[in-house]
This record gives sequence, C-alpha cells and structure tokens, in this order.
Amino acid sequence: MNLQAQDLSLGYGDTAVVEGLTLDIPEGKMTAILGPNGCGKSTLLRALARLIKPIRGRVVLDGEDIHALNTRALARRMAILPQAPLAPEGISVADLVRRGRTPWRGFLSPWRDEDAAACAAALEAVQMTDLADRPLNELSGGQRQRAWIALVLAQEAPLLLLDEPTTFLDLVHQIDVLTLLRTRNRDTGMTVISVLHDLNMAARFNDFLVLLGPNGLVATGAPDTVLTPDNLDRAFRLKAQVQPDPVTGNPMVFPL
Amino acid sequence: MRVVWVAVVFAVVVLASLTIGERSLPPQVYLDALFNYDPRDPAHVTLLAIRIPRLVAGLIAGAALGLAGTVMQAVTRNPLADPGILGVNAGAAFALLLGTTLLGRADEAIVAILAFPGAALASAAVFALGGGLRGDAGPVRLTLAGAALNALLLSLVTAIVLVRQESLEVFRFWVAGSLTQATTRPLPEMALVAALGGILALLIAPRVEALALGSALSRGLGTRPGRVQAGALTVVTLTTGAAVAVAGPIAFLGLMVPPLARLVVGHNLRKELAVAALLGAALLIFADTLGRILLAPQEIRAGIMTALIGGPVFLWIARQVRPGASS
Amino acid sequence: MRPVALVLVLLAAVAAGLLYGQEAVSVAMLWDGILTGEGPGALMIDTFRGPRVATAVGAGAVLGMSGALFQTLFRNPLAAPDVMGFTSGAGLAVVAATAFGLTLPMPLIAAVGGLLAGLLVALLAYRPGHSTPPLTLILVGLGVAFFTSALSTFLMTLLPYNEAAEAQRWLTGSLAARDWSHVAQVWILGTLLGAAALVQARRLEVLELGEDLAAGLGLKVEQARWGISATGVLLAATGVAVAGPVPFVALMSGPLGARITCAKSGTGRMLSAAGAGAVVLVLSDLAARAALPGIVLPAGVMTGILGAPYLLWRLSREMERGKL
Repeated sequence: MNLQAQDLSLGYGDTAVVEGLTLDIPEGKMTAILGPNGCGKSTLLRALARLIKPIRGRVVLDGEDIHALNTRALARRMAILPQAPLAPEGISVADLVRRGRTPWRGFLSPWRDEDAAACAAALEAVQMTDLADRPLNELSGGQRQRAWIALVLAQEAPLLLLDEPTTFLDLVHQIDVLTLLRTRNRDTGMTVISVLHDLNMAARFNDFLVLLGPNGLVATGAPDTVLTPDNLDRAFRLKAQVQPDPVTGNPMVFPL
Repeated sequence: MRVVWVAVVFAVVVLASLTIGERSLPPQVYLDALFNYDPRDPAHVTLLAIRIPRLVAGLIAGAALGLAGTVMQAVTRNPLADPGILGVNAGAAFALLLGTTLLGRADEAIVAILAFPGAALASAAVFALGGGLRGDAGPVRLTLAGAALNALLLSLVTAIVLVRQESLEVFRFWVAGSLTQATTRPLPEMALVAALGGILALLIAPRVEALALGSALSRGLGTRPGRVQAGALTVVTLTTGAAVAVAGPIAFLGLMVPPLARLVVGHNLRKELAVAALLGAALLIFADTLGRILLAPQEIRAGIMTALIGGPVFLWIARQVRPGASS
Repeated sequence: MRPVALVLVLLAAVAAGLLYGQEAVSVAMLWDGILTGEGPGALMIDTFRGPRVATAVGAGAVLGMSGALFQTLFRNPLAAPDVMGFTSGAGLAVVAATAFGLTLPMPLIAAVGGLLAGLLVALLAYRPGHSTPPLTLILVGLGVAFFTSALSTFLMTLLPYNEAAEAQRWLTGSLAARDWSHVAQVWILGTLLGAAALVQARRLEVLELGEDLAAGLGLKVEQARWGISATGVLLAATGVAVAGPVPFVALMSGPLGARITCAKSGTGRMLSAAGAGAVVLVLSDLAARAALPGIVLPAGVMTGILGAPYLLWRLSREMERGKL
C-alpha cells in the first residue's frame, strides 16, 4: 500500500489551506502529521482518506487516484477513524465493532465466520474481549477510544488513518492508545497515519513525521531529522531545544 | 425617517381597506356617512355597519398581535416565537369554542372573556414545557412545544365539533381567524384590554431588555426574572386573548412584525413595541383586504392570508437561526 | 426474547380491535364467523372491523417504520416525518387533487406530495459548504408543516361544503369506511417498501457512526442518505394514502418499539417500530371508535391526544440531556 500526495492543494471554498504539497507515506510504518492549529493537519488527513476533494493535485494509492477507486474497494484497503465519531445510543462494544465489517459485506450477505473472527481479533488486539457486551457509554474515555479503534481494526485494511486519536485522553491513555497502534503496526505491518498534537509523543511512537507550518510543509522524515530547533521555529514560531530522550533516545522538545 | 414610512404605509392600507370592496363608493359618501348618516342609504350602511367595524377589528387584533409577538420574542430571545406558532392563539380559541358550545351563543361579550384564561393557560404551559422561562430555550424546543400544544388542541376541537355536530364554520373559525364577524364582536371592550396589555408592555420593556441579556446579568442589573416573566406572560395573555376574541386565531403576524419593527427603530424595546402595534395593524388589514380581492367575489379568511404570507417568512428565519440552546 | 412480547401485544390489539367498538361482539360469535363465514361475526370481519383493523395494522406499520428510519438517520428522536412536514405535504397533495378534480390513484398523489415536501425541507435546510444539523432540518420541517397545513386550509375554503367537511375529516387522519382494496394497497406497497428499508438497514447502521467514519467504511454517504430518505418518505406516504395524515404515530413508534423489544440492530429497530406503529394505530382507532357512545371519532384525534403529551415529554427529556 503506497500512499502519495502529488502537488496537492486543499481548502474550503476559495481559501487554500494547503498548497502544492507532495508527500510519500512510507509503507508499513507509523507516520504522524504535526503542526500548529489551523495549518491544515486534519484537512490533509481528510484528503488522504478521500473525505474531501482536493482543489488541485491528487492522492495516489498504489498508482491510482483514490477518487477513481470504487468506494468499497477503497474501504477494504484504507480505514479512517475521524476525530469525533458518533455513537448510537446504548450500543454495545461488540455491536459497534461489528459495523467495521461493512466494506466486506454485500447488500444481503449474512454474517460469516470470517467476519466474526475479524471482530474477535480486533477486540483481542485492543484487549476488550471481556468488555464486548458492555454499552459503550458506560466505559471510560480510554476504553471508548479503544473500542473505536477495534472498529477500524475489524475493517482489516492495511492502511489506517486516525484524526487526533489521543486528544481527549489523559497521559496514561495516550500512551496506551499509541502503544496499541505501534504493536499492531509491528505485528501486522499495517501502515498507520495519525494527526497528533504532542511532539514528544509523536517522536516516541512514529517512524516518520510530517511537519506542517503556517506556510505549508516544513519537513518530512525520521523524528530526529524533523524535530530540530530550526524546523520548530518555522512551524510553530517556537524557540526550543531538542535533546535525546535519556531512555529511548528519541528527540525531546524543550520549549525555551 | 423610517417611522414616517411606517405611518404612510399604515395610512395607505387603512384607506385601501375602506375603499376596496364589492361595492365601490364615491368619496363624498364617506363624509356623508360620518356626519350625515342615513340608515336608508345602502352605501352608508355598508360603510358604517360593515367596513368600519371590520377595519376597527383589524386595528385591534393586528396591533395586539404585533405587541404579543414582540414581547414573546424579546422574553424568549427566540425569533420564531409567535402566539399562533406557540399555541397561545389555539388556547384562547379553544376556550372560546368550549364556551360557545357549553353556554350557547348567549352573550358574545361574556363568552369572549373566556379567551383570556385560555390564552393564559396555553402560554404558561408552552413556556414552562418548552423551557421558555429559563430564557435559554432553543428555538426548536419552544417551537416543537407549540406544535405539540397546537396538535393537542386541534384533536380536542375536532372531537368537540364531531360530538356536538357543530358546523364546519365553527371549525373554520378555529383553524383560521377572520374579520368578517366584526360587528358581533365586543370591539370596545377588547380594544381596552389590548390597550392595557400595551401599556403594561411599555412599562416592563426596560426590564425585559435586561432579562434578554441572561438571567444572571439581569439580576445584576436589579431585575427579578420571575416577575418580569410573569409580567410578560400577562401582556401576552391580554393581547392575544383580545385579538382572538375579536378576530379568531391569526397566525404568523406576531412572527413577522417584530423583525420589521427592529428594522425601523433598531434595538429599543419601547420603540419597537410602538412600531410593532402600528405595523401589526397595517399588516392584518392588508392581509384582510388582499383576501377580499384575490378571489373575489369569494373571500379568503385573513388568518389564512397571514399564514400564507408568514409561512415563507418562518422558513426564511428558520434557515438562519442557529439551532440548539442559545446559552 | 422480548420481540415475542411485541407480537403478543399486536395480536391482542388486533383481537380487541375486532371485538370491541360501538358494540362488542363475543369471542364465540367472532370465532363462529371465521369458521362458517356467516352471522354477525363474519359481517364484522368481512365488512366492518376486519378491513378497518387490517388497514390500521398496515398504515401504522409503514408510518412507524418511516419514523424509525428518519429518527435513526438524523440521530434525533424528534425527527419524525409527521413532525417534519412530510405527512402534511402528502395530505396537502390529496386535498389539492380533490380541489382541482384530479383523479389519480391516492397513493401516487400522496407520494408525490410527501416527496415534494421532503425535497423542499432538504433544499431549504441546505446551505452550501455547511453540514446541516438535524435540528435545522426539524425546524425547517416544522415550517414546511405549518405552511402546507395553511395551504390545505386555504384549499378547503374553495371546496363545496360537503367535500370540505369530508376533507377535514380526512386531514385529521381517519380509518372510517376502509375496504379490502385499501388493505391490499397498504399491505402490498408496505411490504415492498418495508423490504427496501430493511435492505438499507445496514447502511443506516453505518451512517449512524457519523459521515466521516461511514465514508471510511466504504459507504457512499450522499447516495445512501437520499435512498433512505426517499424510502422513508414513500413509506409515510403509503400510510397517509389509506389513513390520512394521522399525527404522531411515526414519532412515537420508533422509541416505543425499541423499548418493548430491546432491539439494537438496524433491522430489529425497523421491525419493532413497524410493530409498535401497528399497535398504536389499531388501539387509537379502537379508542376513538369506542370512547363515546353513538359517535365514531377519527383515529387521528386519539393519536393527537396521545402523541402531543408524548412530544412534550420527549422535549423535556431531550432538554435535560442538553440536546436541545
């Protein structure tokens, strides 16, 4: 699954948020999109997921423009978890996860063993097998987020896009969610692309960073090449020092 | 300047209402009829017994509904508030109908009094249930509460009409008011009540304006929200009750008038009220006159005309408002 | 499980609808009528109450299902076709056809009216570049309902007295004088449209998760939404064509059905709503027939008296949960 953005311009109406962006997302890796508020992080992710049409340029998946692909075929290859999905009232975790099988089921096709297996595996991966029958709205914020992730995992797409998956979580649950994604990425080779806010968290869990600034793309690459004082200044207008994490060796940002 | 235009429009509408009709009257007849009334002259009779009472009824009901709508919209901060939409009209009309059914057509003036408890109950119910008294009622909530109240009363009226084998005419009265029965209505009494409502509205206007800033801030400004709301409900009851007793339920007038009044005088509730009374009267008389000429010789009831004009206005406003609670 | 409860309630309602009314018949008489095809029991089943109850079951079911479709689609228990003006649009079309002397089949006229009202709501609520919040749709729908009712009243003034009285009764929602052709009509159309709704139930379940996630799961969001809306409007129009625009059946049935059966899946909720709608309409009609000696009220009077307090209660609940 090779995902590329080619000369991409994005925006709403006449105002372009992102202009002329070209990007090659590394396959089988964890990628984070970073940048200050309003720079178009989410817009970029939504364009990569075909939720919005670019003004110019295209998003290419394995050599094909994603807007030319069949909707269901695309959903089998690419899953997206938006920032604030809506939970039907009183739905249980298991029923929620079942809906992740939508792209694999025909109009009238019955529930098959492989659907059940995919859901069980997804619940297992997020360690929620025990909570499967619980209503979603009785769970904690961290558990709820894991249930949503189980839904997109049940979709069994090799490419997963997440819009700010950790925003409403406390530190422990942020690490919990990102570890879960990292494990899944290592075990199955799934490509993960997420929009994140926390620079240090992004550096620790991702192989590849895309740093956007107010004037477009600032840098792409491995965390230690992207998170430099110079790049941070250009993206955030932030004076910062970058030191290696004493434990993991990842770059850590210390604002001055 | 704009106020002058309102006055001009008002004068034109009043003149049109007096001159347009099945029988066209030469100008000097008007003066003759006023100063030299001859009961044997059919032209004089037409004027004094039909057109003038009809005009007066339109003035009373229109002005009262303009006031009612303005106060309702101000106190609920809801641009869709209107005595018709919120079911206050229906409450008053239901009480009237019940009175006519139970008491017979004994005395129009006595039956007319029933419009007030009807309006009072309905407005209290719709405001309490629709959250209007908390001052943060979203437009959807209040409008739906009104729709529910309207539907409930409609069902009850249908039942009464069928049970008592009442005529469709009774039903039509209930569905849409008109000015045709003006001569049999207690016009002077109702004019007095509507005027009382208007005076009360002018008195409490500054407090209502303070309340519109939110109940916390209004307390800080020295008003007591409960009292102001009670005052506002009294105004709504008096004006709507009077309007229904004179003309039956007329919808959407109270919806259309306040934004127009605001266009003329800006955000100043006392001035808005004065202009709203004038505009409401002009609009109702205009609707009535239009209803007389559109399908002549058949007449379209004034209440249907206002609903046909007001429906699109409602939709236009509904498109703009941000739904959900406004706080 | 609980679905059995709903089936039992429905059977009981149908039995009561056949047995009671202005005059009660005994179970034995009814049974006798079924077996022999003769006597007062047979008359009740063949001519008087049979078609009436069967029409009520069909019309209630399609209205209930239509309500559940829209309530799920817009994720709001207030978004029912009778609140949003679709049924009054269908009603207006029928009154207009009567007034202008059009002799087209009733379901067709009602369907056109309902679809036009639905389209009008969608167009008026649509603002380019913004997603439409369900509450705006409801508000615009209320406006369309007000306006179409005003137009119906206006058209009624053009009708001669007798026809106007008849139109008034019909607009209240009535099951009087239904025969087996009405039954066939609502059951055949209802079965076809109901099947279409059930086929789309899975799409509805996905749409419920929000547009973005639904798109990510491979759903053509716009297409699915239009398909579901059209099915819902046509279901409602099918009910209106045989029973008139009975108020609030669609509004009440979805939550009521789900409460009885505890159904969670889209299909389950559709079927529960259909069952609950049938129960509500059969019982409302029975109450309207039997409440007052010598007078048969239209069923719509009863659903109005039941539904309005329900709507008010629902409002206060939504208010407490901060959703309004």
